[in-house]
Amino acid sequence: MEPVQLAAVLAAVVVLASMLSVELGISVALLELALGVVAGNVFGLDPNTDWLVFVANFASIVLTFLAGAEVDPDDFRARFGAAVGIGLVSFAGPFVVAGLVAYGLLDWTPKASLIAGTALSTTSLAVVYAVLVETGLNATRVGKLIMSACFVTDMATALALSAIFIKPNAWFPLFLAVSVALIVLLPKIAPWFFRRYGNRVIEPEIKLVFVCLFALMVVADAAKGHAVLPAFVLGLVMSRHYQRHRLEQERLRVVAFAFLTPFFFLRGGLNVSLGAVFANLGLLALLFGAKMVPKVSLILPLARRHVPRHANFTTLLMSTGLTFGTISSLYGLNAGIIDRTQFSLLVTVVVLSAIVPTAIAQRWFSPDVEEERMSDEQPAVRQPLPAGERA
Amino acid sequence: MTPYRFTHLLVPVDGSEGADKALDCALSLCELVGASLTALAVEGKLPAYAASVGEVEEVKREKDDFFERVLERTKAEAGKRGMNISTDLIPGHAAEVITQYAKANGCDLIVIGHRGHFLGDYLLGSTADRVTHHAHCPVMVVR
Repeated sequence: MEPVQLAAVLAAVVVLASMLSVELGISVALLELALGVVAGNVFGLDPNTDWLVFVANFASIVLTFLAGAEVDPDDFRARFGAAVGIGLVSFAGPFVVAGLVAYGLLDWTPKASLIAGTALSTTSLAVVYAVLVETGLNATRVGKLIMSACFVTDMATALALSAIFIKPNAWFPLFLAVSVALIVLLPKIAPWFFRRYGNRVIEPEIKLVFVCLFALMVVADAAKGHAVLPAFVLGLVMSRHYQRHRLEQERLRVVAFAFLTPFFFLRGGLNVSLGAVFANLGLLALLFGAKMVPKVSLILPLARRHVPRHANFTTLLMSTGLTFGTISSLYGLNAGIIDRTQFSLLVTVVVLSAIVPTAIAQRWFSPDVEEERMSDEQPAVRQPLPAGERA
Repeated sequence: MTPYRFTHLLVPVDGSEGADKALDCALSLCELVGASLTALAVEGKLPAYAASVGEVEEVKREKDDFFERVLERTKAEAGKRGMNISTDLIPGHAAEVITQYAKANGCDLIVIGHRGHFLGDYLLGSTADRVTHHAHCPVMVVR
């Protein structure tokens, strides 16, 4: 199929995914991923066309930047200690267990096992945020704690993805220098740039962000590294700027969601082999367990200490995953670290982890919002453990 | 048997034709029996399993705007008939919120349109069906 024909077909799939998203109330990303699976397995569309690989790679960096920019620094500071504890455990547990399971039981290569550990250690701030906003819990202490902990896990994932696979060469100091320079300078330049050039149809401020992200990708590529960590931190340091200029952030999202991210998720789906998934259902269950068991067993005790009344709810939400899991898996596939079967299994587990713990948390463990709000208004006192949760 | 005395009616509104008919019916009933009326808008599902916070925020904002307009229109409709109506906007799953709200606020009759305007109502059965199954009080389904 000619590149332009592939583009036309994928554009039609993107439109269909958007329509279904609005009608069914399911995230467009998940539908793009699912329709990508259908398109890849039924129509045999090629996921490795040059332009598609390029757009999807750039989209993953833009998504990472947006994830950093969506963090509220004030909320994060409010419950820093508990968030760091839960967030780090949420990353480290599945990272170690899934990595060991992949290496020891599934006989994956050490690097493929590290990809498995990284992809399955993630949480999804967006999945969690939707649940919290839908129930009105985002403004409560427990909601803010969960979101902050998700941020810590995301940060650890970005760090792992950047650090584990880097092969320092002569370009590495430049990669480091450019990353630090952009992280320091962009938040300082942005207000002036916005005043001078902002609020125009030609969107110079979005182009400024894109050129920074491209610069990171170029030097990361030269250094045989990955731009995911500096992109995430760059988003994070820009979050205050975007809090003051919401419209600018929305325009960036519009550009990203209209043109870039659909191709990232579609390409993810195109690479999933349904045959490989169905032929390895046992491995799928094992990998799902390798994510969920350490998440639950390690987060639950911490959650019982910090949010005793909502320990199960917190634990389940911290067990979700989607964007960073897909980014990690696709990185492994692009770099030739994992094969298509391994990728298919990892992405399927990531999608399952977006759906299963969320559904259980919403169905059986959703806190009473009114009670939470009243509890937040009272002076902070240590709450006793409910009878069922006492050791 | 003691006769029913309706003192506080609840009418869920979502901007659909069915909800408009239910509101009309509820206002008429309140005029007739002198009961108070609460209009409840339930801000339904946000995109499940979203990949970005932006996607959730955008839909949330759209829903906020939409339901605020629906409640303003509901108040105006009651005002035209010289009636006071209290309104509330709550996030959550429609049938669950409606039944819990009715119980918590001592509503003694729920007046609900037979079908909303969401595809889910056509595919999965209407909110009215679920409310009739789970409500603690009588439910009037308006066609």
